[in-house]
Amino acid sequence: MKVNGAEVEGLVEPRTLLVHFIRENLQLTGTHIGCETTHCGACTVDIDGMSVKSCTMFAVQADGSDIITIEGVANADGTLSALQEGFRMMHGLQCGFCTPGMIVRAHRLLKENPSPSEPEIRMGISGNICRCTGYQNIVKAIQYASAKINGVEFQEAAE
Amino acid sequence: MNDLTPTREQRTAALEGMGCKRKRVEDIRFTQGRGNYVDDVKLPGMLHGDFVRSPHPHARVTKIDDSEALKVPGVLAVITAETLKTVNLAWMPTLAGDVQMVLADGRVLFQNQEVAFVVATDRYAADDGINKVIVEYEPLPPLVDPFKAMDKDAPVLREDLVGKMAGSHGPRNHDNHIFEWTVGDKDLTDAAFRKAEVMIKEMISYHRTHPSPLETCQCVCSFDKIKGELTIYGTFQAPHVIRTVVALIAKLPEHKIHVIAPDIGGGFGNKVGAYPGYICAAVASIVTGKPVKWVEDRIENLTATSFARDYHMTTEVAATKDGKVTGLRVHVLADHGAFDACADPSKWPAGFFNIVTGSYDFPTAHLTVDGVYTNKAPGGVAYRCSFRVTEAAYCIERAMDILAQKLKMDPAELRLKNFIKPEQFPYHSALGWEYDSGDYHTAMRKMMETTGYAALRKEQAEKRAAFARGETRDIMARHLVLHRDRGRRTVEKLRHPGHRDVRLLRDPYAPDRGRHRAGWIKKPRPGPRDHLGPDHRDRDRHSRR
Repeated sequence: MKVNGAEVEGLVEPRTLLVHFIRENLQLTGTHIGCETTHCGACTVDIDGMSVKSCTMFAVQADGSDIITIEGVANADGTLSALQEGFRMMHGLQCGFCTPGMIVRAHRLLKENPSPSEPEIRMGISGNICRCTGYQNIVKAIQYASAKINGVEFQEAAE
Repeated sequence: MNDLTPTREQRTAALEGMGCKRKRVEDIRFTQGRGNYVDDVKLPGMLHGDFVRSPHPHARVTKIDDSEALKVPGVLAVITAETLKTVNLAWMPTLAGDVQMVLADGRVLFQNQEVAFVVATDRYAADDGINKVIVEYEPLPPLVDPFKAMDKDAPVLREDLVGKMAGSHGPRNHDNHIFEWTVGDKDLTDAAFRKAEVMIKEMISYHRTHPSPLETCQCVCSFDKIKGELTIYGTFQAPHVIRTVVALIAKLPEHKIHVIAPDIGGGFGNKVGAYPGYICAAVASIVTGKPVKWVEDRIENLTATSFARDYHMTTEVAATKDGKVTGLRVHVLADHGAFDACADPSKWPAGFFNIVTGSYDFPTAHLTVDGVYTNKAPGGVAYRCSFRVTEAAYCIERAMDILAQKLKMDPAELRLKNFIKPEQFPYHSALGWEYDSGDYHTAMRKMMETTGYAALRKEQAEKRAAFARGETRDIMARHLVLHRDRGRRTVEKLRHPGHRDVRLLRDPYAPDRGRHRAGWIKKPRPGPRDHLGPDHRDRDRHSRR
C-alpha cells in the first residue's frame, strides 16, 4: 500500500487492525486509538479518497490502497496546511488527542465540499468526538481553512 | 510623559508576561500528529499486559487456572492475587485512606474488576491469553442501591473490614458504611426549622458520571534491575501521588522511581487515581526485567476506572414567608462503590461539599454525609476539578428554585434577596468557609440586564399562556445560568485555614499547560520565551512541594 505518498510493505496476521499496522509497524503514531469501536474517530485516516476509521478495519483490507494519515497532511514544503493552521489559529484543540482524526476528516470534507456551511461542517465531522473543545472552535478552524483555500478573507461569525 | 512613553498595553505586550494573548506552543506538534502520548512510547523488548475481568458484580472467586493461558504462544506470565501476595502486593492504598484490591483476592466486588494480569510479547497475544484463563466464580447477591447499603440484611461487601467499627474518617455504623461527616450546628439548625414559616424538602440526586477522556488510562513501566530504579510513563494527572503509591507498594524509595507524564489525551479527573493496571505493569516489569505496557480499552475505562458524582442529597431549606432563608439542612448519601477511592485533596471525606450554602446568607446550616460501599467500580474523582463543589452548587441552586416555586417568587428575586451583601465581606459561612470579598447583587443584576431577563420571563409567560389556550405547541424552556463565581471558590479553597497548598498538591495538568507554564514566567531578554517553563511532566525535575 501507499502511505503518505510512499510505498510501504508489511507482513501481518489477518487479524491485525489497520490502526495497529499504522502505529506499530509503520511507526506513524499520530493516528490515535480512542474507542476501538468506530465511535470516536481519533483513528480516522483517508483511504482512496474516503475517511475511514482504521480501528475497525483489518490491515489486509487496505492492501493496495492509497492512505493519508495526519503525518501526510502538511504542505509539500513542510509548512502547516490551511487546516492545521486553522486549528492552531482558532484554538480548535486542547489535549490534541482527537486532532489528527479531526484534521484528516476535515481534509476530506473540504475536498468534497470546499465551501461548506456551518451545518455542513457539523454534519461532516459528526463521526469524530472531541471531549475538550465543545466543537465551536473546531468548526471555526475548518471555516478558516475553507476561506484560506478559496482565497477569501475569513470572517469569524459572531457567537 | 512624552509621546514616546509606551502605554501600559504596549509594555505588557513587550514583556509577554501573564495575560498576554499567545498561540499555544504545543499545537504545532499536535496538528501534525507529533504528540507524544503514552501509547506512543515504545521501549526495546517491551511486553504488553492485559486483564482478565470479572463478569459478576459480586462473587467469590473459587479457582483461577492459568495453565492453558501459559501455553498460548507469546504469553509469558499470568499474575493473580496469589502471586502478588507472595510479595505483599495484593492490596494497595487509595487516596481516601481505604485499601483496594489490585487483583481479585478471593472475591470480586464490581463488574469488570481486575482478576488476573496476562503478560505477553504483544497485545494480541495478551488478549489470546486472557481468553484461556479459566476463572470459577460463585455469585453472591449484589448490592446496587446505596439506599439499601446500610439495611440490616444487606450483603456485607468488604470482608476485610468486618467488625472494624472505625475507618480512616472516624466511626462506622455498619459493615457497608465508610464514614459519616458532620459540619455545622445541629441544634441551631433544628431550632430554625422549628420556627420556619416555610419549608421545602427534596431528594436531589446527582447521578454517577464517568469523565471518559478520549485517551484511556495507560502506562509503560520499565524496571532497571542493575540500578534498582523504576521508570513509569503514564497518563497521570497527579504524578506525585502515583510515585508515592508505587513507592509504598513496591517498597522502593521515591527517588528510585521516575514518573513521567507525557502528553495526556484529556483527564477530566479520571487520571488522578492509581489503578491496578499501573501496579500490575510495574510488578510485571520488576519480575520480567522488561518494560511492560498496559493500555485499557474504552469499555474497561468506562466500567472500571474512577467515576465521579453519585451523590444523593436530601435537602431542606427553612425560610420566612417573604423569602428570606433561615436555615439549611442537607444529608448526603455518597455512593463510593466497592472501595473508597475518592480523590478530594482535602482532609474531608466529602471534599469541599460544605460550600453548599453557596452565595446565600444562611444564618445556620447543618450537613451530614454518609459514605457507603456498593457493588460498583470505586471512585469519586473530581470530574472537571469539582472536588464536590459541583454537587454542592447543583444542590443549593436546585433547592433555591424549589423554594422559589413554593413561594411563587421569581427565582432571581429570591436569590437577590438572599445573597451575601457586599458589606458582609469578609463573610464567614455557617459551614466554616471564609469568603473574602464579592458583590453578587451587582453581578446578578448585570446578568439580568445583559440577557434581558424581564423580557424573557414575559415571553415565557405569554408562551405558556398561549400553550394553555392550545394556540401553539412551541414552548421554549429558558434556562438561566445564575451567577456562580467559580474563580472565587478556587480562592476560597486556597484560603481555607490549613489548606493553603490544596491545589499545589496536584499536578498543574491542563490541556494548555505548555502555553500556561510559559506564561507564568517573565520573558528574559533577549530571545523567545516559548521554550521556557518548568517541566512538571518529569517528576525528577520538579520538587515535591
